[in-house]
Amino acid sequence: MLRVVEAATGADGGLFRHAVLTALSVAIMCGGLSVFVVLRRLGFVGHGVAHAAFGGVGVVAVLGLTAAGGAMTVPGYALIAVFCIGVAAAIAWTSSRGAAGAPGRAAWREDTVIGLFLVASVATGAILLHAAGPARAGRIESWVFGSILEADRTDSAAAALVAGVVVLALAWFRRPLLFWAFDEPAAEAFGVRTARTRLLLMALLGVAVVLSMRVAGVVLSTALLVLPGAAAVQLSRRLVPVFALGVAAAVVGVLAGLEASLRLDTPPGPTIVLTLVAMASAAWAVGRARGR
Amino acid sequence: MTDVAAEIRDLSFTYPGAAAPALEGISLTVRNGELLAVVGPNGGGKSTLVRLLVGLLPVQRGEVRVLGRSPRDAARAGLIGYVPQRSEAELNFPVSARQVVEMAAGIGLPPWRGLPGERRRRVGEALARVGAGEFAERPVGELSGGQFQRVLVARALAVGARLLVLDEPTVGIDVAGQRRFTELIQGLRRELGLTIVLVSHDLRTIAAGAFGGVGEVSAGDRVACLRRTVHFHAAPAGVTPRLLAEVFQHDLADLFGPTHVDAHPEAECAAHGHAPHAHPHGHAHGRDSAGGGG
Repeated sequence: MLRVVEAATGADGGLFRHAVLTALSVAIMCGGLSVFVVLRRLGFVGHGVAHAAFGGVGVVAVLGLTAAGGAMTVPGYALIAVFCIGVAAAIAWTSSRGAAGAPGRAAWREDTVIGLFLVASVATGAILLHAAGPARAGRIESWVFGSILEADRTDSAAAALVAGVVVLALAWFRRPLLFWAFDEPAAEAFGVRTARTRLLLMALLGVAVVLSMRVAGVVLSTALLVLPGAAAVQLSRRLVPVFALGVAAAVVGVLAGLEASLRLDTPPGPTIVLTLVAMASAAWAVGRARGR
Repeated sequence: MTDVAAEIRDLSFTYPGAAAPALEGISLTVRNGELLAVVGPNGGGKSTLVRLLVGLLPVQRGEVRVLGRSPRDAARAGLIGYVPQRSEAELNFPVSARQVVEMAAGIGLPPWRGLPGERRRRVGEALARVGAGEFAERPVGELSGGQFQRVLVARALAVGARLLVLDEPTVGIDVAGQRRFTELIQGLRRELGLTIVLVSHDLRTIAAGAFGGVGEVSAGDRVACLRRTVHFHAAPAGVTPRLLAEVFQHDLADLFGPTHVDAHPEAECAAHGHAPHAHPHGHAHGRDSAGGGG
């Protein structure tokens, strides 16, 4: 029997039950978001927002909002979410200004701003975690590479709640999101409020990152926001199948990676990421063979 | 309904941080049912004008009215059918031609509702009207440039747009496709009474494409030559090689030196049967919106 199934059903004594449930929730929401990330080429944006979480973790640790050994609390998650959404909104604001700016004008473009926020957040987080000390900050690698096996009831409940909100928001705002993602200027000219739509997707990325950090850490959670969508667009050119494939790829990748990690005794975050990389590469090969 | 579809008065626009304005003192009137072709060299402000006209840029100085409203309001009321330049990203998008049209048709619907039958029917009619019926279910990535362009026109028709704004519509389309596209645009104007603003840096589009050949130029059709200011705004018969050379000149001179300048526009026009020096009247600089017409 698969160990992830044993863990999810509690057949192994419930040791990793919350790990599997957290990973599942994260996979479902990231799978849906990743299609937009890939189609809108927001990979680096996701990377920047993910790293913003590290600064948030530092603040949380210094304020003593973590439980023993660096486990996350609900106020802790909320504060990190504020951090991530703030950075996401700042990126969205810069890119909308960039769109209205003069062609060829020497200004900070979106990628420059992301680069700035990314290193600022990581540096701030590193200093604050150091200041907080290991009792509050936990092991720094667990924030960097994920610590899914340590997920507790708070993590799995928060992940389920956030995943529900993200999936509902994607379904509710599917029309403006889709038109905006397809062709932003045309969407605007047809009356879609694109600035709000962009902000919405950024905010959803922000909250998704807060929980995917538990699975893959700030460094690797970009994988969850990019690779499922990257695999899906290789396999289909139809809208509904692409979203279904994105979610399926994320769920399969996360569960297979977790299974491999439990059997091989490798760190779960990096194992999940490599599984997703393998799946995306295979999808790319299939797409190529079909003449994409 | 008024006689004027779009009115631009004394419009100037400077991009934030730019040293020089992209547009200066533009005045143009587009009458209902008219086809206005805006030509000019790259960097002459054509795209800026389009973005102001469809409400993508805020009006800084002067005034823009589209069907009696501000561009933003006209856009939100579905009156403007913007047909943008083709971009690479769209072609990898996993949607069918029909879904592209449905994106626009679904604007303003409550999220819990599917596309109602009446809007669905309008989408089908728009696709059929542009001759996209047979490839409506194909992914956009499999369409030719000309086919995709027609789908974008269908998207404008499906929302009931009264003003069609086409930005470089023939770029990347083969000659046969360009001809079909021209016929489509002329048909829409004739049969649906749409007003059309067409922007192009390609003089052939204007000479042969937009007007369906010199013989078919109707009294209402006009050309505006744009290089930061409006250099000309009149019936196309008044466009002379000399004028075009002047409008395009500086641009080309910067690139190739002065020797290429005169040859280029003359060759373009001669190829389409314009008598090269038949209309030696010069051009009026600046605000000459009232002039021209039929």
